[in-house]
Amino acid sequence: MMKAVSVESGEASKAKGHGVNRGLSVFDLVLRIVAIVGTLAGAVAMGTAEQTLPFATQLVQFSAQYDDFDSFKLFVIVNAIVCAYLALTLPFSIFHIMRSRAGKSRILLIFLDAIMLVLLTSGASAAAAIVYLAHTGNTSANWFSVCQQYTDFCQRSAGSLIGSFGAMVCLVLLIIFSAVAISRR
Amino acid sequence: MEKSESTKIDVVETNKEKKGKAPLLGTAAAPAIVAAVGHDGHAKGGAKRGIAIFDLILRIAAFASALGATVAMATTEETLPFFTQFFQFEASYDDLPTFSFFVVGMGIVVAYLVLSVPFSIVCIVRSHAVVPRLLLIIFDTVIIALATGAAGSSAAIVYLAHNGNQDANWLAICQQFGDFCQRASGAVVAAFVTVVLLILMVVISASALRRH
Repeated sequence: MMKAVSVESGEASKAKGHGVNRGLSVFDLVLRIVAIVGTLAGAVAMGTAEQTLPFATQLVQFSAQYDDFDSFKLFVIVNAIVCAYLALTLPFSIFHIMRSRAGKSRILLIFLDAIMLVLLTSGASAAAAIVYLAHTGNTSANWFSVCQQYTDFCQRSAGSLIGSFGAMVCLVLLIIFSAVAISRR
Repeated sequence: MEKSESTKIDVVETNKEKKGKAPLLGTAAAPAIVAAVGHDGHAKGGAKRGIAIFDLILRIAAFASALGATVAMATTEETLPFFTQFFQFEASYDDLPTFSFFVVGMGIVVAYLVLSVPFSIVCIVRSHAVVPRLLLIIFDTVIIALATGAAGSSAAIVYLAHNGNQDANWLAICQQFGDFCQRASGAVVAAFVTVVLLILMVVISASALRRH
């Protein structure tokens, strides 16, 4: 009798463990989708940031585009890469919901997620450094703050950073939840 | 009390009787199974211990490179040998707020890596413990994000200082402050090396978390 009871409670706790793992995998999928939206929004917002000032001299028209700045070009490319990667790993995430015991594929996913996290964070921080410089300028290096003239352009490029940093937080949470799911098997 | 004593005696008698019949966990089979499980557990514990030792080595290496990056950036200053009547041309890391953020961020990374060495040692000593490894992975991931943020933003400023930007009318200051730029670039490279080591640490900790 006692043996039967203990076996049953063991099975019940196993089922509970599977349930928590399944919940973690579902949350993983949701986070991945949110991160896709964030990177896509960031790339599109930065890619369409351009402004032409309404006045012009005889020789030159004053305009600013995202590809005037190398960091912004890098930002758009990196966001596109991370967005494509996240879309390609959605099937993996769905596979993990169905098969909660997958260990090796979760570790591969952690490795790839970590690389994408580094890529995304370095692109986003590079763009953030240039946005900050464009807002405040730097008197020691004699760099003039561009935003006083191109306010629209600056606003747009700064807003695109928010989506990218949100996706970065999602990636950090994805790695943490994958690690927790591995430890709970 | 008497009841339990009587059941105890009963169990002992039945075991002795059934010795020859080999039930599910008979006394003859049990030691063999226990020995097999123990040997397997020892082998897996040995692999986890090896991974934990490798993690400690990586942690010390990452600490060294992060410390190098922080010190290199914090000690960059250069004073040009010529000056006008009013001011002297000099550059130091706190002229650029991004470099200040780099020094502060990498300083936090260095402090974290020092504080996490005891946790790593606990993981070596108790190879099957899950909670220290999980804590290490969680904090390592957050520190990856911080270190990459500091390194990426400083890389953008160093790139700008090397090349300038014609459309924004920003001059390349590295042409005058060569030493300053070299040192800052070295610090950024060391920070990226730290980030690579941190990624390796997270991945091997995750592989050690698996219960085979």
